[in-house]
Amino acid sequence: MITYLIQDPQGASKEEAPPWADSPAPEIDAYGQLPKLASTFDHVDGLFYFTYAVCIFFFVIITGVLLYSAVAHRRKTWDQKPISNFTHNTPLEVIWTIIPLIIVMVMFAWGFKGALDMTTVPQAAKQNTYKASAKQWAWTFTYPDGTESYSEVWFEVNKPVHVITESQDVLHAFYLPSMRVKRDVVPGRFQSVWFEPTMKGDFHLFCAEYCGKSHSRMYSKVHVVDSATFASQPWNQVPEDDAPIEDRIAYGKQLWKGAGCYACHNITGIENTGPSWKAGPEGSPEMGLFTKNADGEIVGTQREVSENGEVTTITVDEDYIKESIAYPAKKIVWRGRYKVGGMPAANLSDDKLSCLIDFMKSLADN
Amino acid sequence: MTTNTPPVDVQVAEPAAPREDYLNCSKGIMSWLGTLDHKRIGLMYLIGVGIAFLCGGAFALLVRLHLWDPEGLLFTNQQYNQIFTLHGAFMVFLFVIPAIPGSLGNMVLPLMVGAKDVALPRLNLLSFYLWVTGALFAALAIILGGFDTGWTFYAPYSLYTDQAVITIGLGIFVLGFSSIFTGLNFIVTVHKLRAPGLTWFRLPLFVWALYATSLLQVLATPVLGITVLLVAFERLYHIGIFDPRLGGDPVLFEHFFWFYSHPAVYIMVLPAFGIISDLVTVHSRKPLFGYKLIAFSSLAIAIISFLVWGHHMFTSGQSTYAMFAFSFLTFFVAIPTAIKEFSWVATVWRGSVALNSPMLYTLAFLIIFAIGGLTGVILGALNVDLHLHDTYFVVAHFHYVMMGSIALAFFAGLHHWWPKMFGKMYNEFLAKIACVTIFIGFNATFLPQFIMGSRGMPRRYATYVPEYAPYHQASTIGAVVLGSGVALMVVYLIASLFTGKKAKENQWGGVTLDWRCPTPPPHLNFDDEPKVVHEVYDYSTLDYESLRRDAT
Amino acid sequence: MSHDDHHAVTIPAPGPEFVDHEVAHHFNTPVQEFQALKLGFWLFLATEILLFGGLFAAYFYYHEMYPETFVLGGKQLDWKLGALNTSVLLLSSWTMVMGVRSAQTSQKKKTLIYLGITVLGAVIFMCIKYMEYSAKNEHGLIEFGHLFDGYNEATGQLPWFTDHDNVMASVPHGHMFFAIYLTMTAIHGIHVIIGAGLIIWIMFGTAKGRFHAGYFLPVDLVGLYWHLVDLIWIFLFPLLYLVP
Repeated sequence: MITYLIQDPQGASKEEAPPWADSPAPEIDAYGQLPKLASTFDHVDGLFYFTYAVCIFFFVIITGVLLYSAVAHRRKTWDQKPISNFTHNTPLEVIWTIIPLIIVMVMFAWGFKGALDMTTVPQAAKQNTYKASAKQWAWTFTYPDGTESYSEVWFEVNKPVHVITESQDVLHAFYLPSMRVKRDVVPGRFQSVWFEPTMKGDFHLFCAEYCGKSHSRMYSKVHVVDSATFASQPWNQVPEDDAPIEDRIAYGKQLWKGAGCYACHNITGIENTGPSWKAGPEGSPEMGLFTKNADGEIVGTQREVSENGEVTTITVDEDYIKESIAYPAKKIVWRGRYKVGGMPAANLSDDKLSCLIDFMKSLADN
Repeated sequence: MTTNTPPVDVQVAEPAAPREDYLNCSKGIMSWLGTLDHKRIGLMYLIGVGIAFLCGGAFALLVRLHLWDPEGLLFTNQQYNQIFTLHGAFMVFLFVIPAIPGSLGNMVLPLMVGAKDVALPRLNLLSFYLWVTGALFAALAIILGGFDTGWTFYAPYSLYTDQAVITIGLGIFVLGFSSIFTGLNFIVTVHKLRAPGLTWFRLPLFVWALYATSLLQVLATPVLGITVLLVAFERLYHIGIFDPRLGGDPVLFEHFFWFYSHPAVYIMVLPAFGIISDLVTVHSRKPLFGYKLIAFSSLAIAIISFLVWGHHMFTSGQSTYAMFAFSFLTFFVAIPTAIKEFSWVATVWRGSVALNSPMLYTLAFLIIFAIGGLTGVILGALNVDLHLHDTYFVVAHFHYVMMGSIALAFFAGLHHWWPKMFGKMYNEFLAKIACVTIFIGFNATFLPQFIMGSRGMPRRYATYVPEYAPYHQASTIGAVVLGSGVALMVVYLIASLFTGKKAKENQWGGVTLDWRCPTPPPHLNFDDEPKVVHEVYDYSTLDYESLRRDAT
Repeated sequence: MSHDDHHAVTIPAPGPEFVDHEVAHHFNTPVQEFQALKLGFWLFLATEILLFGGLFAAYFYYHEMYPETFVLGGKQLDWKLGALNTSVLLLSSWTMVMGVRSAQTSQKKKTLIYLGITVLGAVIFMCIKYMEYSAKNEHGLIEFGHLFDGYNEATGQLPWFTDHDNVMASVPHGHMFFAIYLTMTAIHGIHVIIGAGLIIWIMFGTAKGRFHAGYFLPVDLVGLYWHLVDLIWIFLFPLLYLVP
């Protein structure tokens, strides 16, 4: 039981606002059970509510007959005999077998047809292919033109979309409730999913296959916008090298959350799954990445790493950071032991990396 | 055995000396730990699964309390993941699968077939000790740091996670054999130890249900055994069959796992159906409507259950043919189940309906199972399932079936056979209160989960988007009410052992063989070997005279 | 009526070197006991078949996925040793049958001899198995010393699959064949040892005179178990050794 408490003393996710902090709740449809449909898969809603109605119908009949009988035919004296001893009623038995059979066959056919629609990617969608890459615990999206965004994705309204999903580590699932879209993301495979967004707005994207500690935090925002807004590539606004440092740091912090780093590397100096980016209090094993030396300059800290089984001491610098993000297994920091395979790689372009490093440096305020 | 032989008389106990029964016929702890008596083994199972149920329920309350707050009230995400996993693993492997066959089945099956014991009493005791061993492995796994894979252990996460997966895997392997041996024992008992005159179609439906369950236990559980073994071996020496880094396929694990686990849910529910079948007839004092249909539907469900495992995997990228077959057969298996539900209601109709606590639990079952079963139909539709899979809709569905139906049937059976097992009665008023509390609490817990599930709330989430908060909070309140009802039930049941009134010989006026032996039964169950000459639920044979004497 | 009144049903011993068999108290007749135990044991054998069935399913699936790996892997196994093992098991099944027959005809000494030879067959089987495993160890195809050493994600290396002679270099996931080979044959080997243990237990019972023409069921059932062990090997051998 003790190990419970030591393993994860402060879930990093609890320190920060949740990833959905400024995401609006989607509207609910007229019957109150589903989010308002934002894609062309209306057969899902149709069959869902049809089956619902059938279920309510049978439930009312069953419960009604049962409760009526329980009251009207209740045993009032200990030797009261039953009113009737019937054990068969062939017409009734035929009806209650045949009618449900017909109903479920209708449901099956309707559902199967709908599933064919949802799993057959039309040509129009294939022209508009995205990639959704899942890792513990964040989504990376690649657009048809090759640009990328993290934990946030933009689609063009009324344009069919084909998403190829891949996983870098364990099972995940790509779930857009408002579009009625869900597909498991299996490591070692590419799984295809498609849909046509029909409504502009902001929607939720959840991971719907348990994937470990921060499964519930693996959230992405979905923006469905018109073609003009889409053309301006809102996801690709990386601050330039000469942009104000506050903008670069803010963008870097966005990457820290969006690219999933936050799940293991916190910015509070507390011991967690991955090394903290900020130095911890006196005596803490957390050295952080950068610190201020006597002259107030920002310098990298020293840390012990295991490289191919040999332990050396290195100084944190930009090259080390870039190498560790792209090839996490090259130099491993002591976390109770040298554990290979803890961190999934992240593929960040140089301009994004430099903003991220600026953010890391901004944490060096002893 | 001639038809001139009169049926066995119900014996009325002499009020003077306490009669020797299976509880007092031998004393000392060793006479219990080394017993070969199916009734004592059933009692030991009852204590074991009862404790497991309370532990699993405690984990559930922790889960629901944590989920009061969208950011989580009590635990870190990692701890929450371990707790919901423990809730699932304890409930499924230590309670729902073994409870009814192990406790009520062991207690009642030999009585119902008119035998002195099960066919293989030593194997029965071994089954129990295997259960205990599995439980110890589970406890060990907790001590070693727990496990956070979900009760379904999906690869590759279960291969990578730094937890006591091998320990619990071995525990499940051992529990699997406990289940297999119980099933084996029951099959042989029903085939070979029936009393003279007890043809197959004179068997009580609880026996039919346990028989169908046993077929599943014997045929399906070995696949679970090899699956957990393979996961353990993967972790130990990296075979590579489920690990994509080594060329393996995680979806293969899902196939292996669900090939057992779908029949497993029928292993869980068929005995519950059996209990309801028997209770509904006794407490309506009316023969069962459509006896043969109910008997055959149990077998049909057992067979078809092997063919639908893919409906747990509709989102995994199945081929069109697989989707077609699995969805079609899933809808198909709904029909025998529906027939059962209609037949039970028809049994109650125009009977002499006693509204005692076993019957109240039975009525609660019939209402709740209607919802559980019908929502399963919703999930069987392919396109709808693509939206609902891995949401709280599924969680609500299976809790309606597992907790609301199976556990409630277990409670019903417990209340029904309690007088037979102990010769004591519990406080009927408190029992009714508990039943109503449980019914209200249960629905309050799980109805909101349907709504938030279809609105997109995924399962196994330690934190969630705030718009689902009202549903989570309503569900938590319901869980507390449900927990109180269960707590009350446990209290008065245990109290009845010390201060309960003496039970009647034939408490409910049943006519099956379990009510034609003394209460509580002696060591070898029957004083003379029973010979069966009447049809099974023939209430014209009910001896109203002795019932009247009993009542005074 | 207490259970003291219940008289035990016995099957009398056919001779002074044997003992009576007491039928268990919950059975009414010896026939009922016989049928119940036999049915129960066949059901148990069914579960063993299903357990191995899962392993065979895994084998077939990966044979489909990586056919070259399985063909090349199979070539690394010595089919002659495998064939020898097959003959040993077949022979031991025959001696087992003769043992059951001898018990059935109340020939105590012959029973012990036949059962003893069967156990000897099991021992020879395990020795040949040891030779095979050693060969794999030498060539680095299954290095038993490093079996539990963990997977190095950085290098993609499995410490137990070093493949000194690079025989599997041309096929993907070469280790997969040997891992499945090891798992299937090791689990089978465990069952061989269990079977041998059961036979030894029966030999003790035979020596005490418990099995004779009136009651030889346990010998019969252990014989069935042994035949199952043999049967599983009959499937394993061609699949692993001969298909390539």
